[in-house]
Amino acid sequence: MILRTLVFLLVLAGSVTTAQEAARAPAHDVLISRQLATEQGLSVGSLVRLATDATGTGARTFRVAGIYEPTPDPARLGTVPREVRMHLPDLLDVTRPPGALAGTEYIANINVALADPADATAFARDVNARMPGVIARPSSEAAGSAGPFRVLERFHLAIAVVTIVAATVFLLALTIMLVDERRETVGILRLIGLPARRVLVQVLIEGVIVASAGAAFGLVLALLSESLINAFFQWRYDTALVFVRITRDVALTSTAIAVPLGAAATVLASWALLRRSGLRLARR
Amino acid sequence: MNAVGFAWRSLVRQPARAMLGVLGVAAVGALLLDMLLLSQGLIVSMRDLLDRSGWDIRVSVREIPGRGGRVPAASETAARIAALPSVKATLIVRIANARIERDGGPYIAATFEGVSGRSNRGAPITAPWTVLRGRDARGADEVVIDEAIAKTANLDVGGTVTLRASCVADLEALPPAHLRVTGIAEFPFAVTNEDGIGGSLDALEAACGGNVGDEADLLLVTSTGESRETAAAIRAAVPGLFAMTNDEVVGRLQQTGFTYFRQISAVLTTVTVSFAVLLISVLLTVSVNQRLGEVAALRALGFSRSRVVKDVLSESALIVGLGGLISLPLGLLLASGLDRILKGMPGIPADLHFFVFEGTALATHVGLLAATAIIAALYPMRIVSSLPIAATLRDEVIG
Repeated sequence: MILRTLVFLLVLAGSVTTAQEAARAPAHDVLISRQLATEQGLSVGSLVRLATDATGTGARTFRVAGIYEPTPDPARLGTVPREVRMHLPDLLDVTRPPGALAGTEYIANINVALADPADATAFARDVNARMPGVIARPSSEAAGSAGPFRVLERFHLAIAVVTIVAATVFLLALTIMLVDERRETVGILRLIGLPARRVLVQVLIEGVIVASAGAAFGLVLALLSESLINAFFQWRYDTALVFVRITRDVALTSTAIAVPLGAAATVLASWALLRRSGLRLARR
Repeated sequence: MNAVGFAWRSLVRQPARAMLGVLGVAAVGALLLDMLLLSQGLIVSMRDLLDRSGWDIRVSVREIPGRGGRVPAASETAARIAALPSVKATLIVRIANARIERDGGPYIAATFEGVSGRSNRGAPITAPWTVLRGRDARGADEVVIDEAIAKTANLDVGGTVTLRASCVADLEALPPAHLRVTGIAEFPFAVTNEDGIGGSLDALEAACGGNVGDEADLLLVTSTGESRETAAAIRAAVPGLFAMTNDEVVGRLQQTGFTYFRQISAVLTTVTVSFAVLLISVLLTVSVNQRLGEVAALRALGFSRSRVVKDVLSESALIVGLGGLISLPLGLLLASGLDRILKGMPGIPADLHFFVFEGTALATHVGLLAATAIIAALYPMRIVSSLPIAATLRDEVIG
């Protein structure tokens, strides 16, 4: 049975009715959101009266059959989801304007589960061709490129790029200083016969090891902070929305950026040093 | 030579590392500035947008105007509100979807705002749009359109627009209405990529084939001065409706819609400042460690302990100060790019900005960078202040 979500005005006056009243008119079942249940002190088995306006015109009694956790929605972050889910015929009965005939209502969306999800595009094309006035889209496209998720993703990516740029600049400054500190050692290595290329390889290997260790430390820190950040924001907004998730792809991308960047910074900083002669480097 | 001059020479002596340090601070500072602008940007921008409209109370069936539901018996409700002694003017706003017909092209989907005002004591009635060219629409056959429609439909002041509006349901099949364009206007509350048409309620009724009904999406009210008291009086006069002042609307949005950006701004500000402190501290520490011999020699020459500490602090202040200066234009540039990204969010008015420059944000930015310069210099200052002169010089000679 298709369920439809609608935020209703709960007519709480006489919301919990007597057992006799319930026996007279068996109430249909609804589900209510956890937040609404907590706020109004409702539990499974409670009877509630629902109407579409604050005066309670045409209110009908329903039985709370269950309490559910609403699907997290970043666009509604900060608002308490006071939601009721009911069977579609009940919803139409409650919302039908006076004088409107049953069966003349229209619905906003129909969700279709295909036997083979890979057929979504072809199926949508067929529906659009055969049913003018109806727009069918695969779920992946329905979200739209301008959806809040996509926009936030682009925003976070931009912030990440700026952070990487800042980190790279600092990293270069640090490696220049560290390489400069080892000028004499490099000079001696050159004087005992090691070619610049050999020293550069050594510096590169060192850079890779240090960058790998740094990336691993960063990942461990991210994994440790992941649950802390999620716990804080889930508590703050009373939502099940996951704010931070360190996926395999995220870990790989971070490593793929951090390690080459660290190694490249080390080599770049060493390059200017290695172009000087061994004698000049070793001179005090 | 004073401490700042001395620190400047130390930096100039090693230009590459000094430049990289300054650039690093500039990038971090730019991000920090942006996060500070973001923390209050939406609120400031929304308040400005509401205040600019000229109406100080919004009456609707929902707590936040524009989130579904219409005010029934709009004319009677507006008349009851207008009768209140503290009300100067009321405006009924009815919004409908419209399709603008085009010769040889697909229709343009637009939002038609129909308004009807009532003024007490000659108070001016301001439409919820700003006329850029031409004049405002007056009669039942006149409208103003936005620049985007004018460009796409090749229309201008004096032209005629052919449209079909749906005031009740999108499935209505209505005859087209022909309305004269009297002006090109800007709709501040139109969301990005939303095309706007404005006119009188009579014009909207004509476009909807007379099927408009006595309902309003929103009632705008101007009070004689005490908006909070007037909103309370409206709530008492028309129970069941929400009457909110601009401050209350902003406050409500602050509690709900905008919290995510404030939280992320707070988190990123903390991370950015910590990052800056850590990196500048490491830079200064390494730099000081490389110059321990020099510092010991200066101490041996007569430089006091406080003087070498001041040198390190000045060096930190110069790196952070120069980086901070560069971070201002860089941050504003970055803010405009980030603002463009975030304005892609659905349902955001085109005139609303996420990043708004404010004096308090700048002051906080300066304060945080100053604190960064001091905290980052603490450890290296401790190194130079506790440096054993003779032992360090001996190590330098025999090392």
